[in-house]
Amino acid sequence: MQKTIRLNVNHESQGLLVSPHQMLLDVLRDQLGLTGTKKGCDIGACGACTVIIDGEPALSCLTLAIRCEQKVITTIEGLAENGQLHPLQQLAIEHGAVQCGYCTPGWLLSAKVLLDRGSVPTREEVRAAIAGNLCRCTGYQKIEECILAAAETIREVKQQENHNECGVILESCDNLAVQTI
Amino acid sequence: MNIPKFEYAQPRSSAEACQLLAARGTEAHVIAGGTDLVMALKNRQKIAKLLVDLGSIGGLNEISYSEPEGLKIGALVTLRHLASSGVVQQNYPMLVEAALAVGTMQLQAMGTVGGNLCQDTCCMYFNRSDAVRQSLEPCHKLGGDVCHVVNCSEDCWATYAGDLAPAFLVLGAKIRIADVGGEQTVPLTELFSGDGKQPYTLRPGQFITELSVPSPAPLSGGAYLKLRPRETLDYALLGVAVNLTMEADNEICKNAALALTAVDKAPLLLEEAKQLNGKKLTEELVGEVGRAAREKSQPIKSLYGFTVDYRREMIPVYVEMAIEQARQRATA
Repeated sequence: MQKTIRLNVNHESQGLLVSPHQMLLDVLRDQLGLTGTKKGCDIGACGACTVIIDGEPALSCLTLAIRCEQKVITTIEGLAENGQLHPLQQLAIEHGAVQCGYCTPGWLLSAKVLLDRGSVPTREEVRAAIAGNLCRCTGYQKIEECILAAAETIREVKQQENHNECGVILESCDNLAVQTI
Repeated sequence: MNIPKFEYAQPRSSAEACQLLAARGTEAHVIAGGTDLVMALKNRQKIAKLLVDLGSIGGLNEISYSEPEGLKIGALVTLRHLASSGVVQQNYPMLVEAALAVGTMQLQAMGTVGGNLCQDTCCMYFNRSDAVRQSLEPCHKLGGDVCHVVNCSEDCWATYAGDLAPAFLVLGAKIRIADVGGEQTVPLTELFSGDGKQPYTLRPGQFITELSVPSPAPLSGGAYLKLRPRETLDYALLGVAVNLTMEADNEICKNAALALTAVDKAPLLLEEAKQLNGKKLTEELVGEVGRAAREKSQPIKSLYGFTVDYRREMIPVYVEMAIEQARQRATA
């Protein structure tokens, strides 16, 4: 029994014919050609297959594709927008946070979920967020530094945008709520 | 890793789901978050001919709280949703600890409260890959008649290692069970059969729709502590949940509840905790309860991590730490 499902992957609406036993990971890689999502352990223990579904981190190796009807999915291919790398990607390069690269798409997306909540995370929060992404090169230190730096960069960009919006340039202003007033 | 083909149904109501499940008996499974089930299907620990998706039934993913009814949690509320809920954080910090102790951020975002309670039991044979398991004859849990963990045992010794169950047990939670004949509410304690092979008392056609937890008593507090090799991902090798209610003087314990996970075929709600009721929480008395908990537990060898002896020795230590944390919260 196959079923046609419609889902949004990286801002593109897709219609797909899937069987109930097919995993989202395989559908992304084999039907849509989005091979940035990696297959590691394939039983939900390594995080290499992490994608974002409706704003939440998900393991695509444990997600039945047929349950993704009308879901909004972001894979690593959708992280850069308009040819511009996401700060996480740019800083991963600058911090040397990529070694063999197999875990990279997964932790980048876990980190994106963490940063999307809007506040700058603590180091402990960063560790908790990427604890489900195993790095076989054990390069965690640089990954942590990259995420913390990206959080800072995003905060600065937002602060700048906010200044531009209200037309007030404050030399030192950490409180976004105050700026918008 | 492929899964053998199965049929897939999206019922619109609990009644429809029950009928679908009852008609197909043991060959049908419900799917909630899918983290435990899909892994088991991939590993060939379970075979499904029909999956009934509870996600298509509305209203099972909501949290509500009111006085004096308490907390109601839909069975499909994810662990991440539970942990980020304001009313849960404020009234039941132990539930936040337990939810965040499960697996990883991804598994917490996918896994559900109902699914976590019904997490299958595990052991160092059953949870190996299919290829490894085939090198030995099937165990009780796989339809055979041997146990590869406890030699010569006629019973299955697979361990229950869910993190939420002990926390909900000490909070006096009840579950609402949907059945072909309607819904019924029973204490959570009745969910667990104590049989490693069939750890739940749910019959084909039944599933959990909701949990309810009484409002916290004044001057009460709880804590959940988990022992595992890594601070992430791993199943509990010991989990201790404590809930205490103190008298107004902050010295005497009015009511104590203690539950353990990962040390038996079902979570253990220990009657011995009642020894603390009406008494001052002295080191000696707390130690006595911890030692009683150790005597009641029956941990088996795990695939990785700590030895059985170490885990047993850690029981009084963790009980003491959990009681102290709960006491601090109750009197804060």
